[in-house]
Amino acid sequence: MKPAPFAWERPASLPALLDRLAGAAGSVKLIAGGQSLGPMLNLRLVEPDLVLDITGIEELRQARIEGETLVLGACVTHADIEDGRVPDLTGGALQRVAAAIAYRPVRNRGTVGGSLVHADPAADWVSALIALGADVEVASLSGRRTLPVERFVTGALEVALEPGEILVAVRVPARPAGAAWGYVKHCAKIGEFAHAIGAVRLEPDAGRGRIVIGAVEGPPLLLADARPLFGGRIGPDFAERFDGRAADAALAAAGMTDAVERHVHVTVLARAVAQAAKPTPLSLREAA
Amino acid sequence: MSAGLAEPAAGRMALSLTVNGRSLRVEAEPRSHLGDVLREGLNLTGTHLGCEHGVCGACTVLLDGEPARACLTFAGAAAGAAVTTIEGLDDDPVATELRAAFNREHALQCGYCTPGMLVAARDLVLRLPEADERRIRIGLAGNLCRCTGYAGIVRAVMSVIAARRARGVLPDTGAARALGPVGARIGGTVAAPLPPLPGRAASVAPATAQELSGTFEPAHRFTQAIDLTHPPEAVFALLGDIEAVAACLPGAVLTGHPAPDTVEGGLQVRIGPIAATFRGRARIERDEAALSGRVRGAGSDAGGRSATQGEIRYRVGPGEAPGTAKVALEVGYSLTGPLAQFGRPGLVRDLAGRIAADFSRNLDARLSGTTPIPVSLNPLRLVLGLARARISAWLRRS
Repeated sequence: MKPAPFAWERPASLPALLDRLAGAAGSVKLIAGGQSLGPMLNLRLVEPDLVLDITGIEELRQARIEGETLVLGACVTHADIEDGRVPDLTGGALQRVAAAIAYRPVRNRGTVGGSLVHADPAADWVSALIALGADVEVASLSGRRTLPVERFVTGALEVALEPGEILVAVRVPARPAGAAWGYVKHCAKIGEFAHAIGAVRLEPDAGRGRIVIGAVEGPPLLLADARPLFGGRIGPDFAERFDGRAADAALAAAGMTDAVERHVHVTVLARAVAQAAKPTPLSLREAA
Repeated sequence: MSAGLAEPAAGRMALSLTVNGRSLRVEAEPRSHLGDVLREGLNLTGTHLGCEHGVCGACTVLLDGEPARACLTFAGAAAGAAVTTIEGLDDDPVATELRAAFNREHALQCGYCTPGMLVAARDLVLRLPEADERRIRIGLAGNLCRCTGYAGIVRAVMSVIAARRARGVLPDTGAARALGPVGARIGGTVAAPLPPLPGRAASVAPATAQELSGTFEPAHRFTQAIDLTHPPEAVFALLGDIEAVAACLPGAVLTGHPAPDTVEGGLQVRIGPIAATFRGRARIERDEAALSGRVRGAGSDAGGRSATQGEIRYRVGPGEAPGTAKVALEVGYSLTGPLAQFGRPGLVRDLAGRIAADFSRNLDARLSGTTPIPVSLNPLRLVLGLARARISAWLRRS
């Protein structure tokens, strides 16, 4: 359980990192908190020549609000969000997701950017941030670009990063007043990777909503227009209108052939819808 | 790294660490994790190593005062950090109370999990507002104890929290702390070159072809269907040509044909940053009358760390349109080793689905008389194909 040898460098600034990334010979992996890459290195499933530690870069360890958008640097940790050390525009949605990721010692080092780039289909942020309509900001020597998380996560453990690019920030839009949020995951043991995830962000006033069914075999299944799952209309009575059969059909159409698996995912999604409909805010600290 | 440090030995990096209050200069290989640095380099063997992939919690230490996994914190990531191990908690007031409570409540038996358990318990005592059993159990879920059943541990932690809150000690909100992973310093460049180890690139030992055991009960099963625009008989005939089948299977290489029904070769698979090449042997059986067959194979990856055994049963039948065929595949496999420890069946199915799609496209091309383009498993292309398939599947339904 020891990694194969690698070189280690921690550049002190983003330009230095991008220079090094563009010029490095051999295979390179970026590391932030290392809570996903660490196990893969220890198991020798990944054997890079060079590991570039991005946690020394100040810009990646900041959070700020830009108008109606929360900007989280790539190296903001789950615990930073859980403890409220970063501002919030999501009415506690991010905080609730963060507090239930893995275990506290993992949350103290694991980062939101690292989790997205690792793109494990069963991890929390890939599903939650797609449902929240977040974007990622990507930088390289030739400039920056922004793309929605659902286009960033292209497959199981696959993202749309080009060579020389790094994810620098996550941009989360404000949750409008009246927008309902529900996020439920099913784990057989607390802290393990989820077997099913349901994430819903519904705007009953505007009659629209997004739903994500996560912890599937590939990238999370995004239903950008969730109305078909509510009999064609999303209103204040969305919880009663939720149609599990429509969700089941969506999963079947997306290629989930196992009826038991579909049942688990639909059940978890129904719980997320029910949670979104609860009038009282849930306890923010569901995990310790 | 600060300029005051002398040059480290070849292949090692020099780190300045504060360990249990003492400022130290430590040398370590870049690949060493903090658990090994503490145990092997500093003889602080109170930090235990269990799973070494972040699950068991035995190696939990305090980094800059907060609990973190020593096994998932590489040496370079801790440069400049303050580390507190179980040895450094002798005079800590919370740990002192916890030790008394663990003793009183019989909260340990073999003791292997105890150092990590105490570090995690101390964090709960500091942070939880009250002695809530459910939240304590959730908070200890990342520290595996196989002796006690947790009953005594939970009682011990509850009693310490209750006693402290009764004395008016308030919980810590953790508000004052820089953003980012604990233990990681802003600025401060660290650089350690790759150790000049002999034979690093040449360590790809040929895996031994495993014998195919008589009975095989696969751990995972799935089915897959391939549609081809050629008649069943032609498809079945092609499936009997093992060289042609291998040429159509992405990532497959044939290296030998020691017996008429036996082939040797390899299959390269790639999931994200993980790449593995399985080498092994397969035996082929065919039933000409039923247009069906069976391929049984076993192999291991370079170095023989991950091993797989599998069986593919196929049956060629008529497709929906005249002159077309449908191949029904039943796949069963077992996977052992690190890849199995990490992998989940869903990821393998996703990969198998992508391989099957490429395979059927190549078979179709071959049957039409065009040579399939030699394919390696290009993850980007596969993923694009996958994304397209999913999008179109969704569009079809809405």
